[in-house]
Amino acid sequence: MSRLPKRNSPSITRRGFLIGMTAVGISFGFPRHLMAAMDPASADGKVLPSEGELYEPSLWYSIDTAGKIKVNIMRSEMGQHVGTAIARILADELEADWDDVEIIHVDSDPRWGYMVTGGSWSISQSWPVYRQAGAAGRVALVEAAAKKWGLSAKDCEAKNGKIISSKGELSFGELVSLGLTRQFTEEELKTLPLKPNQDLKLVGQQVTSLDVANKTNGKTIYGIDAKVDGMVYANPILPPTRYGAKVVSFDDSAAKAVKGYQKTIVLEDASGSVPGWLMVIASSFIAAQKASKLVKVTWDAGKTVDVSEADIIAHGKTLLDDASKGGILDTGNVKTEPAFESASSSIAHEYITSTVLHAQMEPLNALVFKNPDGIWEIHSGCQWQSLTLPVLATALGEDAANIVIRTYMLGGGFGRRLNGDYTIPAALTSKALGGKPVKMILMRPQDMLFDSARSASVQQLKMAFDDNKAVTAMEHHATAGWPTQELAPGFMPKGINGEVYDPFAIAGADHWYSVGAQKVRAVSNDLAMATFRPGWLRSVGPGWTGWAVESFMDEAAHHAGKDPLQFRLDMLIAEGRNAGNNAVSEGGAARQAAVLKKAADMIGWGTEQAQDTGLGIASTFGQERDMPTWVACAVQVHVDKSNGLVNVQKLVIAIDAGIIVDPNGAEAQCQGAALWGLSMALYEGTELLNGQYKDTNFDTYTPLRLGQTPEVQIEFIASKMPPSGLGEPAVTPVAPAIANAIYQAVGVRLRKIPMRPSELKSALAKA
Amino acid sequence: MAKFILNGEAKTADVESDTPLLWVIRDELNMTGTKFGCGIGTCGACTVHVGGRATRSCITPISSVEGAEITTIEGLSEKDDHPLQISWKNLQVPQCGYCQSGQIMQAAALLKDIPKPTDKDIDAVMGGNLCRCMTYVRIRSAIHEAANAIEIKGVQS
Amino acid sequence: MLKRIVYGVSGAVIIGLGLFSFYAWNPSIDPITPPVKSDYSPQVIEQGKVLAAAGYCSTCHTPTGGTPYAGNYEMHTEFGTIYSSNITPDVETGIGSWSEEAFNRAMRSGVSRDGHHLLPAFPFEHFNKMTDEDIRAIYAYIMTSVPAVNQVKKENGIPFPLNIRWLQAGWKLLFADSDAFKVNEKKSEQWNRGAYLAEGIAHCGACHTPRNALGGEKYDQMYQGADIDGWIAPSLTATSTSPIPWRAQDFYEYLTTGNSPYHGSAAGPMAPVMHKGLSALPEQDVRAISLYFADHSGANESDDPAANANLQTAIAAQHTQTDLRIDEGARLYATACQACHYSSEELVKGRPLLTLGSATHLEQPTNLVNVILDGVRSDQGISGVVMPGFRDALSDQDISAIAAYLRQSAGQEAWPELQQKVTEIRNQPRFEQ
Repeated sequence: MSRLPKRNSPSITRRGFLIGMTAVGISFGFPRHLMAAMDPASADGKVLPSEGELYEPSLWYSIDTAGKIKVNIMRSEMGQHVGTAIARILADELEADWDDVEIIHVDSDPRWGYMVTGGSWSISQSWPVYRQAGAAGRVALVEAAAKKWGLSAKDCEAKNGKIISSKGELSFGELVSLGLTRQFTEEELKTLPLKPNQDLKLVGQQVTSLDVANKTNGKTIYGIDAKVDGMVYANPILPPTRYGAKVVSFDDSAAKAVKGYQKTIVLEDASGSVPGWLMVIASSFIAAQKASKLVKVTWDAGKTVDVSEADIIAHGKTLLDDASKGGILDTGNVKTEPAFESASSSIAHEYITSTVLHAQMEPLNALVFKNPDGIWEIHSGCQWQSLTLPVLATALGEDAANIVIRTYMLGGGFGRRLNGDYTIPAALTSKALGGKPVKMILMRPQDMLFDSARSASVQQLKMAFDDNKAVTAMEHHATAGWPTQELAPGFMPKGINGEVYDPFAIAGADHWYSVGAQKVRAVSNDLAMATFRPGWLRSVGPGWTGWAVESFMDEAAHHAGKDPLQFRLDMLIAEGRNAGNNAVSEGGAARQAAVLKKAADMIGWGTEQAQDTGLGIASTFGQERDMPTWVACAVQVHVDKSNGLVNVQKLVIAIDAGIIVDPNGAEAQCQGAALWGLSMALYEGTELLNGQYKDTNFDTYTPLRLGQTPEVQIEFIASKMPPSGLGEPAVTPVAPAIANAIYQAVGVRLRKIPMRPSELKSALAKA
Repeated sequence: MAKFILNGEAKTADVESDTPLLWVIRDELNMTGTKFGCGIGTCGACTVHVGGRATRSCITPISSVEGAEITTIEGLSEKDDHPLQISWKNLQVPQCGYCQSGQIMQAAALLKDIPKPTDKDIDAVMGGNLCRCMTYVRIRSAIHEAANAIEIKGVQS
Repeated sequence: MLKRIVYGVSGAVIIGLGLFSFYAWNPSIDPITPPVKSDYSPQVIEQGKVLAAAGYCSTCHTPTGGTPYAGNYEMHTEFGTIYSSNITPDVETGIGSWSEEAFNRAMRSGVSRDGHHLLPAFPFEHFNKMTDEDIRAIYAYIMTSVPAVNQVKKENGIPFPLNIRWLQAGWKLLFADSDAFKVNEKKSEQWNRGAYLAEGIAHCGACHTPRNALGGEKYDQMYQGADIDGWIAPSLTATSTSPIPWRAQDFYEYLTTGNSPYHGSAAGPMAPVMHKGLSALPEQDVRAISLYFADHSGANESDDPAANANLQTAIAAQHTQTDLRIDEGARLYATACQACHYSSEELVKGRPLLTLGSATHLEQPTNLVNVILDGVRSDQGISGVVMPGFRDALSDQDISAIAAYLRQSAGQEAWPELQQKVTEIRNQPRFEQ
């Protein structure tokens, strides 16, 4: 059994970098069955042993006497090659030899601070921290070498894993062998000299991501692969409603015929994560799965057992009709009424998005047990350890300090694993079995039914124009199920009307166009909230606000009789609040205008198109105003009027995310994100039916497949600005670009995604 | 007691005859490179070779493969150097990587039958392999690259 | 097949009980001590082994996973379950006390040593075409080389009056072909060898020849196809619906490798026929059978299937498929089938083109649906190659969508009431061998 190291209490209380952690054998190593940390580049994820004494210039890495650098990564790896990107930031500043760098994905020890991988934040947030950390090591190594040589530090230079001076060179390993102990306070770290951005060498260069090789030979260890001696398998039986279902009785007599079946238990869940669940326990996964189909259960279903997608949409419209509902964002001048009253003309349109499932490839799973030290170990893929730990604590009735999450490689995150609710049933089952190791794997339909879907949304937009068809005011009212309200209400700010709102569910509506008075209102759809657990899904709110804003901008341009590109450019003025207010957003609307122009060039905006073929363009700023990633998408589509099929012939993305740390990974993220956007625009989407998601497997839930993938062209704007994020932004402009192109091709406006052939066909018939 | 050859070695598994091959490989034989995705043969994550042909192991009962030769991603090449594994690394195809064992096994079967596949061939044969990270653009390129490498070297695995 | 036989038996009841009571009576033949190996030459025993295989005796006389020839292979009918006999040389429970004469009588007229009639699930009317030498060889092999197993035959679950054994006699009189094999002088020696094997030991017509309402083979419609054990044994004649005609070399490839790229794989009841049966025959015998059937199919041996317009159409059809967002069957096919069932410009063996496959062109979807439901095991079709089964994976709606899509792509008329048919096929007893 694993032995978790005792908690180092000073490291819990002291923040940041100031810990001079003494070298040897802190939390790493790999106890018999398990790994406390993972190196995605080594066989089976095992962390390679270090040589000799370690020097740890900061919490974030160590250097051993062989010069090997182990970089601690507290972000989860789910396809972004995040460890490689972060380690590269550090190695560049440290002047390390890239071949000496190893990455370690760490467990949920509090010393790492707030652990979350989402929001496209990883690189942007890690950038200053790991650069400071790298600088600390570089300074310490230079000082040590200077001292040895009797030179001034000024006369020594760090380069490619060595310190060089007129007296020769010393490798990092040799210097560590001297016994380095230099530590830095937080204040000292802030004042360390950083390399000028233009001198960065590893950042922006092509390197092979350290996790890639093991993903081509089957050696990468995902949560589903976690095993420990003596574990039993559990498969759940899900209730008919997400909330409010109570088990009345169950009969497992048929299940007893399954070889390996042990028992069925009803979960008692103080955390409210899995009400009405039963767990079927067996000696093998297949037995648990077989038996769970044979247990007959009677429930009292929750109140939402009859709720359908149409009910949620209809309820959303009712909510938007009540102006007193929801939080109003601070967008400067929110008094739009006078402009609309005096408007020469105005337009108003409503946009709908359907329920979308994460459907990540690795079905949800968790392995949970209590180790001999009395610590609960949670082995699973997880995106938000710091959010999941307190929920586990509530469910287990334990202090969070006695629980550790060991994060494995994720077989897809896309936001599903931000919500760690899937660890709860495994934990409760282990608790019911006295801490025995329990491995829970959901079958695909269970995974889908238990998804925290992207909520359906309803958005109503309106715009006022003066006599010259110039825009004088805009309103955007949006309602959906709010993920943050359910899972992390502390993250919800108050609007200017004193009402809280989910910033992740409305970001994007507060765009960078200068439209005069601007009102943005976010309303929680309480029927959605009651029926299912809304989740953060790749790009979250901007996934639907971008759809509405950028479709609407096109409609507005046509109303104003202007070219849709020029109409946008005219309103992207980098002044006032649209000039940017921090290092990342500096440049503001002008940078959005630049990507728009770039995308227009790439697609050949304005060129003559064939019959029933059109170009469409759209632009967003990624995730949020504080960390904008400027992105524009342009597409060429052909519409088959006979059947309503939209064929995307070409898809281009222009993107400005500041400095691109990992060009190859960045391109991959944008390709993937753009295709997610395409998938949600034309291919995937489900609906609520009888209180549950209608589609539960890939026979009817139909994300984009290889044969449906068009040519995708990605171009980055060269920039020396600090990096923003890349995992999500390219999702957001794709759907509106397609809708705008369809309009150009056949003159029909679609205002609901996914845009199904049948719907386009009937719209064409009406047109 | 099921008997078969796995990556060149004779294996037996004492499981119920309807146990899917996937779970025998993963849980009885502890080779976890082959993944579980949908359980109904529509995502391709569980693809292995049986008798040299790509087979969805999640819906293949162990009783079906009696005496057959099975190859998993772990046995595709000796040094992780199948032309597809090389092109996959060159182009950094994997993102989360979860589907990639299945993608590579499916692509290996494709190249064996159709050594110089067109885009249409790739679309058709790879259409059953879902990639939620949507690495499709690179999968397509990597298959072409491997096909070219095989042609140049005259290697066929 | 059995179901029809049972109907036949009940028909015989109506036709007239008394008439046959005398005819039906057969004397018991005295028991003997089993012969030993030295009673026969090794060549005879070896010949018997080959013929016993070619007649797939063990297929019906061995339960799934059980001891060869010990019987109790379960055959389901809606009238009840019947079990095959123990034909190991065990004196007490098998045929150890049977003389050559008793064995010969059983093979030729379906009468047990003690004189009782065997159910016509035992195709004695075909074995009757064999020479005495061949029957003797099988006897020699079974009696001297098959290990004796003491295993009592289970009671058949056939209810009264269908279980009255002497009624079989009437059926035999009406329907069984009691003629010996006749050489067709107009045909070659090879053809006649094929005919002798196919009509005799291999009893091909038992499955491939339609039966009348009372279960007798319709000799005027020889090999024109029939239902068998929940499958369709397709027509082997010019009435075949296969888009590519069967030449002798296609039959030969099919019978030796379990698959013809232009037609399909040997699945269901045909799989053991090929893998456990005909594969034991020497090459020239399989070629002879192939020649015999090619003559029935009427294919021109010099025709190149690769140049057949139907093949070209089928290959081209793969690329003009309906968009997956509109046609559910096309989408499911692309998702679940096309990874294997796709060929580029040239047809690749092991990548069966389903728009070409015989199963898609039959009048009923039975074989296609059976294969989708339960796949193809390593000991069926091409040896060591497997197709997974979608029984627990896809719904009846999914499967009928795929079948309808294929049928349409193959240029055939839609199968009527397809989804209901899929449900029926799913619920019928599964063929287990």
